[in-house]
Amino acid sequence: MRRGAIYQLAAFAVIAAAICVAVALLVPWLPVAAGVQAQRIDMVFWVTTGIAIFVFSIVAAVIVYSVWKFRAQPDDDSDGPPIHGHTTLEIAWTAVPAVLVTVIAVISAIVLARNGNAGPDPVKILVTGRQFEWSFTYSNGKTLGYLEIPEHRATELDITAVDVIHGFWVPQLSQKQDAVPGEHNKIVVTPTRLGTFPVVCTELCGLGHSLMRSHVNIVTQAQFASFMKSGGTTTASPGLAVFQQNGCSSCHTFKPAGATGKIGPDLDKLKEYAAQAHQGPLTAFIKESIVNPSAYIQPGFQNLMPKNFAQTIPAPKLAQLVQYLAENAH
Amino acid sequence: MTTSAHTAELEHDHVQAPPPRGFRRLTAPGWYRAMWVTPLFFGIGAGLEVLIRWAAHWDPLWKGSVVTTIELVTTPIGFLVGIGGFDYWAHYASGKPTRAEDHSGHGARSWKDYFRINTDHKVIGVQYVVTTFVFFCIGGLFALLFRAELAKPGDQYFNPQTYNVLISDHAALMIFLFVIPAFAGLGNFVIPLMIGAADMAFPRLNALSFWLLPIAGLMLVVGMAAPGGGPSAGWTCYAPLCSHQPLGQVFFNLAVQWAGASSIMTALNFLVTIITMRAPGMTFWRMPLLVWANFTTSLLVVIATPFIAGSQFFVLFDRVLHTNFFEYQGGGYVLGYQHIFWFYSHPAVYIMMLPGFGIISEVVSVMSRKPIFGYRLMALSLMAILVLGFSVWAHHMFVAGMASWLRVPMMVTSMVIAVPTGIKIFSWLATMWEGKIHFTTPMLFALGFLSMFVIGGLSGIYLASVPIDIHANQTYFVVAHIHYVLFGGSVFTIFAGIYYWFPKMTGRMYDERLGKLHFWLTFIGFNLTFFPMHYIGLQGMPRRVANYAPRFADINLFISIASFGLGASTIVFLFNMIRSWRYGEKAPANPWRALTLEWQVSSPPPIFNFDEIPQVVGNPYEYGVPGAKHAIFGAPLPEPVGAD
Repeated sequence: MRRGAIYQLAAFAVIAAAICVAVALLVPWLPVAAGVQAQRIDMVFWVTTGIAIFVFSIVAAVIVYSVWKFRAQPDDDSDGPPIHGHTTLEIAWTAVPAVLVTVIAVISAIVLARNGNAGPDPVKILVTGRQFEWSFTYSNGKTLGYLEIPEHRATELDITAVDVIHGFWVPQLSQKQDAVPGEHNKIVVTPTRLGTFPVVCTELCGLGHSLMRSHVNIVTQAQFASFMKSGGTTTASPGLAVFQQNGCSSCHTFKPAGATGKIGPDLDKLKEYAAQAHQGPLTAFIKESIVNPSAYIQPGFQNLMPKNFAQTIPAPKLAQLVQYLAENAH
Repeated sequence: MTTSAHTAELEHDHVQAPPPRGFRRLTAPGWYRAMWVTPLFFGIGAGLEVLIRWAAHWDPLWKGSVVTTIELVTTPIGFLVGIGGFDYWAHYASGKPTRAEDHSGHGARSWKDYFRINTDHKVIGVQYVVTTFVFFCIGGLFALLFRAELAKPGDQYFNPQTYNVLISDHAALMIFLFVIPAFAGLGNFVIPLMIGAADMAFPRLNALSFWLLPIAGLMLVVGMAAPGGGPSAGWTCYAPLCSHQPLGQVFFNLAVQWAGASSIMTALNFLVTIITMRAPGMTFWRMPLLVWANFTTSLLVVIATPFIAGSQFFVLFDRVLHTNFFEYQGGGYVLGYQHIFWFYSHPAVYIMMLPGFGIISEVVSVMSRKPIFGYRLMALSLMAILVLGFSVWAHHMFVAGMASWLRVPMMVTSMVIAVPTGIKIFSWLATMWEGKIHFTTPMLFALGFLSMFVIGGLSGIYLASVPIDIHANQTYFVVAHIHYVLFGGSVFTIFAGIYYWFPKMTGRMYDERLGKLHFWLTFIGFNLTFFPMHYIGLQGMPRRVANYAPRFADINLFISIASFGLGASTIVFLFNMIRSWRYGEKAPANPWRALTLEWQVSSPPPIFNFDEIPQVVGNPYEYGVPGAKHAIFGAPLPEPVGAD
């Protein structure tokens, strides 16, 4: 190969690499990390990106150079030089990628081991996925519909599901884990940033999958300590709290609660539906529809609502919820 | 007897019998018989169900989910019996004297012959390719429909059930009814020609394996109208979700069985054909790389496909027979499904890629007018991918909750597979180096494949790394990755192959200008559609959602508009294919000046491929070597020395 060709090729590769680096740096590819584990994952991501840019630049340079230099004239019927191979070159392009992927694999394995280490005395929270809501059980025995964790302290999330497979993920914390019925899998998060971030479901779990969302509040350790004592932030109406904690908004629209779900009937029309259903007074109809959702299915909707709210919502809370819905219905 | 005289005699015998008339039409194999045998088998299926439930005192006698399951097995068998898929074997098995093969089911004289059981591998190849493109268009249409839904956050046109059906059927059609069988179709047409054989080893099996395909495809599409809704658990159909879906899910479970059976039959046929029917002198180290690629792919299919059959049967049993393979309340192992499923479905990624590697090797070498660089290493790297392909399945399960010790070994094997893949990429680049490159449409698609597949391969490295995968798995990053390897990879190679062999298959040239327009529209539309998905995935948008956070609205609208452009590019392709097939310039025997055997016969090839058996004397890619020959015709045949 001529020396001139190598220089030209190298120039192409440098240009390609420069473009790739610009794309890598100018676009905010990753969410701003909010946890120690996410920062480590970001590190692996950027090492891999460096290697990927190196490989891609070479390939792109060779393709562009070949397209430019080796184009046959329309009337040129001649053949190229009969080169069948080059042992040194073939060994090189076997060995170099092998080394590069080994580097990535070693770094990945180290980060994986460190990210799985909860250290002594982590906060422990049970995460349960259910069609189509998340619930979080704290060590003080309370179960809420959202996650509250302290910053600068490891939290071990014990993740499970009761019906089908769900996937727990907070993009800013990077850690992800499928919630599998009958199994308990653990992930560790150590937040570094205060704020509220989304919790999403990443495993197709049925009709409400895309709305199976919650949120995580990352608070100071002092705030978390008082949260554990009080058992959750109080909302204006106790019924609204029950509504939120049980994930009703995943499937139902209800303006007073800011809920916009479309899987189940629109609760703003509760009175209208109750009239159609002829199932007694409004409060009785609401209660029956929660504890025994199959009793009456509003036309146009499917029998999808979880059947176990009678067991999961304590009677006083249920009464609060029914009252709240009845008072705010139109 | 000389070879040519032998062939002439066959040609003489090859006179089509007059079509059956009157009542005979109802008993002769074909559509008329299928029209009454299919309902007959439907009745047999229904009768079986009622009989068994009556004998067992089960109530009610008529249970929709059970009837549907049985019918989806018996009715297609009825259709296959009617159309004539089993006639010869039934005749043979009944002990009647064997009939001499009159080759009446061989070759096509009119368009009608493409709608019959036909044993000619060239006809079957065309049947495959055309059928798979029908399903490609349907699957693509589904993609455009859900992209319309995703143009805005919130609910637009489809309820969540319909949306989930669209994404599930899009993937299932593209994988099981397009990419895998499209490669089988191209291989069907080309492999016997390339190795110098008159046909496949088992022509009747070949015909049968084609006819299973429209059955599988129809089952997926018709299943959308099932009561309660179509299959909606994604193409991965994870248990236990899929065991509790509406009835449409059964259509999915069984459609996969029909498509899988078709795949296995074709793969066996390829293996036997390649091992036993090579022309004299065609040693393994003289086989074109397309043949090598299909040989490796067929091994993958034969070993792996039974696993997806198993996974779908178990899920079906959980549903219909109330077994507990994957029901944890009954002691089942939920993750067992994923292990079995991915033990097929990861090798399936290579089933969908290796034949494409073969096509690219042919196109790059011929269009660069140079021998393939490092031929033996190219063949060996295929075998390396085959072996490694079986050791990486659990990299789909890094966040699934499987045994955590399994993650690092699976990461290492997944990374190592980049090495043989890299060898192939670099060897194609070296093949182009200092060549005389002709930028025909197949070559453009080959170059498009090279650049896009490198991106897909590199994003694969990200996903092979466990920590990055923990962040990126189940997001749009994965959607971007699989489309870079399956669209930028497989589909581009299918287009390259279709354009490359179009003159051989149809005897006509395609329109080069329209071909180039098609390439550029596809290439640009593809990148605009799928590259931004990397970004939204890493930022936090999960896959398979009908509804998403408002902050992803603008970029999703952009992706949707780009995807409509990508969809429209297919119109250019279809127009070019249909018009060129009918009105295109007559193709010479060897428009690309290629050395491989399929180009040494007329376009389209004679009915039994070779008027004389070729004798292979050299390698298939000796471009630029003075006086080199791959095969010679008309030489006296050597004495057979047993199987080689």
